[in-house]
Amino acid sequence: MNFIKRNQSLNFVIFFFLFSLFVTIASELAMGLLSTSFVKVLGKTMMLCLAAIALDLVWGYCGILSLGHMAFFALGGYLIGMWLMYERTKEIVISAASEQLIPLTPEETKEAIGNQIFGVVGGSDIPIIWIFADSLIIHLLLIVIIPGLLALVFGWLAFRSRVTGVYLSILTQAMTLALSLYLFQNDSGLRGNNGLSGLQNIPGYGNLTQDLISVIFLWLSTFALCCGFYLASIITKSKLGNLLVGIRDDEARVRFLGYNVELYKLLIFVVTAIMAAIAGSLYYPQAGIVNPTELAPIASIYLAVWVSIGGRGKLIGAVLGAAFVSLISSFFTSGQIPNIDFWIININWVDWWLIILGLSFVSITLATQNGLFGLIEKIKERVINK
Amino acid sequence: MKRFFIFVGVMLFASASVASDKDLSEFIWTNKASFHKSSSKTISPVIDSLLELNSGGTEKFLLRWLNKELWFRKSDGLVVTAKKLEKRSYEIFDVIDEQLIEVIDKKKIKQIKPNSGVRAIISSALVQFQLLNADPSIRSKTLDSIARKPEERFRVPLRKAIEIENNLKIKNRMIRLEKLLTVRFEKNISHRVEVIRSLKNDLGIDVRGVLNQIIRTALKAEKVIPDNINISQILEPETGAIDQYDFIETNHSSTTDGSFTDLDAYLMLVKEEKAPEILTQKKLKDILTQQAEIGNIKIEEAHSLDSYHKRNRVLNRLIKNGKVEPVVSREDMKNIVAQYVFYEEYAESSREVTNAATETLNVINGRVSVFSFVDLILEGLSLASIYFLAAIGLAITFGVMRVINMAHGEFIMMGAYSGYVVQLFVTNYTLSILIAIPVAFLVTFFAGIVMERLVIKKLYKRPLETLLATFGISIALQQLAKNIFGTQARPLTSPEWLDGALIFNEIISISWIRVAIFVLSIAFTIILIYILNRTRFGLETRAVTQNPSMAASMGVNPDQINMFTFGLGSGIAGIAGVGIGLYAKVTSELGNDYIVQSFMTVVVGGVGSIWGTLAGATLIGFLQKVIEWFNPSNTLAAQTYMIIFIIIFIQFRPRGIVALRGRAAGD
Repeated sequence: MNFIKRNQSLNFVIFFFLFSLFVTIASELAMGLLSTSFVKVLGKTMMLCLAAIALDLVWGYCGILSLGHMAFFALGGYLIGMWLMYERTKEIVISAASEQLIPLTPEETKEAIGNQIFGVVGGSDIPIIWIFADSLIIHLLLIVIIPGLLALVFGWLAFRSRVTGVYLSILTQAMTLALSLYLFQNDSGLRGNNGLSGLQNIPGYGNLTQDLISVIFLWLSTFALCCGFYLASIITKSKLGNLLVGIRDDEARVRFLGYNVELYKLLIFVVTAIMAAIAGSLYYPQAGIVNPTELAPIASIYLAVWVSIGGRGKLIGAVLGAAFVSLISSFFTSGQIPNIDFWIININWVDWWLIILGLSFVSITLATQNGLFGLIEKIKERVINK
Repeated sequence: MKRFFIFVGVMLFASASVASDKDLSEFIWTNKASFHKSSSKTISPVIDSLLELNSGGTEKFLLRWLNKELWFRKSDGLVVTAKKLEKRSYEIFDVIDEQLIEVIDKKKIKQIKPNSGVRAIISSALVQFQLLNADPSIRSKTLDSIARKPEERFRVPLRKAIEIENNLKIKNRMIRLEKLLTVRFEKNISHRVEVIRSLKNDLGIDVRGVLNQIIRTALKAEKVIPDNINISQILEPETGAIDQYDFIETNHSSTTDGSFTDLDAYLMLVKEEKAPEILTQKKLKDILTQQAEIGNIKIEEAHSLDSYHKRNRVLNRLIKNGKVEPVVSREDMKNIVAQYVFYEEYAESSREVTNAATETLNVINGRVSVFSFVDLILEGLSLASIYFLAAIGLAITFGVMRVINMAHGEFIMMGAYSGYVVQLFVTNYTLSILIAIPVAFLVTFFAGIVMERLVIKKLYKRPLETLLATFGISIALQQLAKNIFGTQARPLTSPEWLDGALIFNEIISISWIRVAIFVLSIAFTIILIYILNRTRFGLETRAVTQNPSMAASMGVNPDQINMFTFGLGSGIAGIAGVGIGLYAKVTSELGNDYIVQSFMTVVVGGVGSIWGTLAGATLIGFLQKVIEWFNPSNTLAAQTYMIIFIIIFIQFRPRGIVALRGRAAGD
């Protein structure tokens, strides 16, 4: 028992390794039991779990309910999407021009790419923010730098003026709303409400089939999730983790003990923002499209809902909650469940699912402090004590 | 009395014209050929002389002609009107005295069908009669059509009509229209200038349109400026743009910032064929492709031309070998531009007229901007009152009780839907709105109490969970509304007396609904301040807010107070929903649009104070309007900047504009 507890993260890694192995074998590549789109759903769900771990770190352990982490998540998607879309369009442009006698100059290539990408929002010039779009390395760095920087500036402003509790939640929600409204504009340089699309293709590897790509991303997602979980469990078990819990439970006391509370809050806020961005950068290539609705404040609230249902303050709980609720949500809203038509009761699951989710969420919040995972542990404790 | 004179006048007019009926029918007879088959090019003189005859029958004749009611007899070409009898035979009548001439076979007559060009000329000829028509609505409509398509020849009939017009409103319109026509068409310059100057108090958009047309200029380029032309200004092309030109496209550097560069000047000369075209990269590529196809460039070499520099080198070689025409260089372009003078010339040739128009327009625009500013203030006030209305319920639940209610927006939505449901049963809109307000209050009041009892009461010590639990309720309520009322917007119709707008002048106007919302929010402020500061309930609420246990020990039941306070806040959100539903579409997502703004309003204003919410709504409403004013095309950007502003604002006043002090501030 002790062994299992101590090596929780090892168990986690082993479980997901076996899981991915199983999915790979069952996928269209080998046995064909699971469809490609379902493999993608699993990969995406893992990335939602990673985002949930990030939120759990910042909320469950440090008490900062951020309603902006899905914004960082989508931002990561945008940043990888820019590279994917640019390079992919470049390939198309070059292959289209290959039959001409005289090859394209770099300027002409750029112009053609600009027309392809921004024609839909009535432009042709490539905005300045796309300046590094042809470099994967720089964009991978940007996935870390830009959300990190945004979190740093915003967090510094917020924590410095001692905005805490629900005020901070509202403020992060406002930040998310501002960001999504900004991206909704056509002249934001990111194609307005069209968003970035065609992200499921990997530039330079046009001959790879989606079956293979989905499995590659599944493994990338598994790797990212395990790394994220490992990092998070290191943080929570370290001195820093204790400090974060201290801040959550009584911020003023930790401050009086001489710690620079703002610094630690800022640190965890930035680290988790980067985690969320990385999760997003692996999620959206599997989703194929990223647009400003992904940033809407409601997405971040849903993330909080998942973490809360799963059980905050427990990393496993966050992962469970995100996986369980997001999978069951897509299951119920996909229309695969037959509607109930019984006498005057007529239940269309697509219509009623949100009501059920909302109400069950309220009751879980009321019934237990630590979500489903907390409930499981409580039951387990009772059984063991007996 | 006045009517009597007009009657006499009309009678005189009529009797004077009877004598010329004969002339009219004679005229028609002599010009019959022009009526049979008319073309828009040749018909004008005929119609003009027809009008000069000034006969009483002219209007009727023109109307019939216009409506294709005229026929002619094939044997002699007599213009007649016809009435169908049986299958093949028609009765024909004289056009003027309407006497039956004969019954005739259909083959022997032919309908006169003027084409659309001719009909346009006829209908504009009819204008002078319609201006004198006894029906004011026809006169008014005629004025509309003149305003749409002003022509010089309407001036005389207009002046005549002004003299006998008795409807003051129509008369004023006629006078104004006559002035506008004078401004456009008057030949006498001093009279024209005088009329232009007299328009300086008129804010109408049509006045500005006419004046702008007078001072319209055309950009011209000549080597020497011709004499006797009315020049607005001479332009000095800014140098440098040609040097920076990248030869990619010809259209992308045209004046976007209002400056006139040497490149613009050159492109203009190209357009007027005064200068050779620029060789853009696109054209260069076409030339080289062509040369490669005819073998002047080797295929391998063509494949290597992947930069502008390489292409240029090949082009220069081809030019040297005489295979391609020489192209214009940067130096050539600059030299050509230097040979010309660029100036803006007025379409209007008279200097005095353009000066008067410019001055008058400046005066008008000055007044317009003052009034626009006033209008902006009104709009800001209106938006502020909408935000206030949306946030006021929250000011109580969040501000006073510190309960984050994410379902607040859904209470607003419930209020709006209650109004809609009431209107299903009560069709009198005034009455239904009066019923809807208390109904909406009661519905949301009880919904609030139920929610407080079942959920919020258990989470008073866990504010973040309150946020999430109420969010759960919010999505459930939203979906429930969607299931019940469907996804399409439901109308909440305002009573008739709220239709239209309160119009101060051409610039300043505000719709009555917004005025009503403004009044409603003022009423709310007063009622709430009264309740909180002057009643026993308000006193107990404040006591519970500040120190629940102390309040309890003084005999106040905090539990009950919390419940009713929450109910009050929710109920007010319901009434706000009725107000908001009047001007916005009622959908299940109605609340979503207001929830973040409402929280912002409360936080910026200062938690715990009605005055603070008022201040917050005012700040946010005005701010949004001001930002929109700077960038009117983009309301999304306005909202983005506003939220960023709020985030920064909270840095400096974390407790909002109206901050509570001392123990009441809490944390």
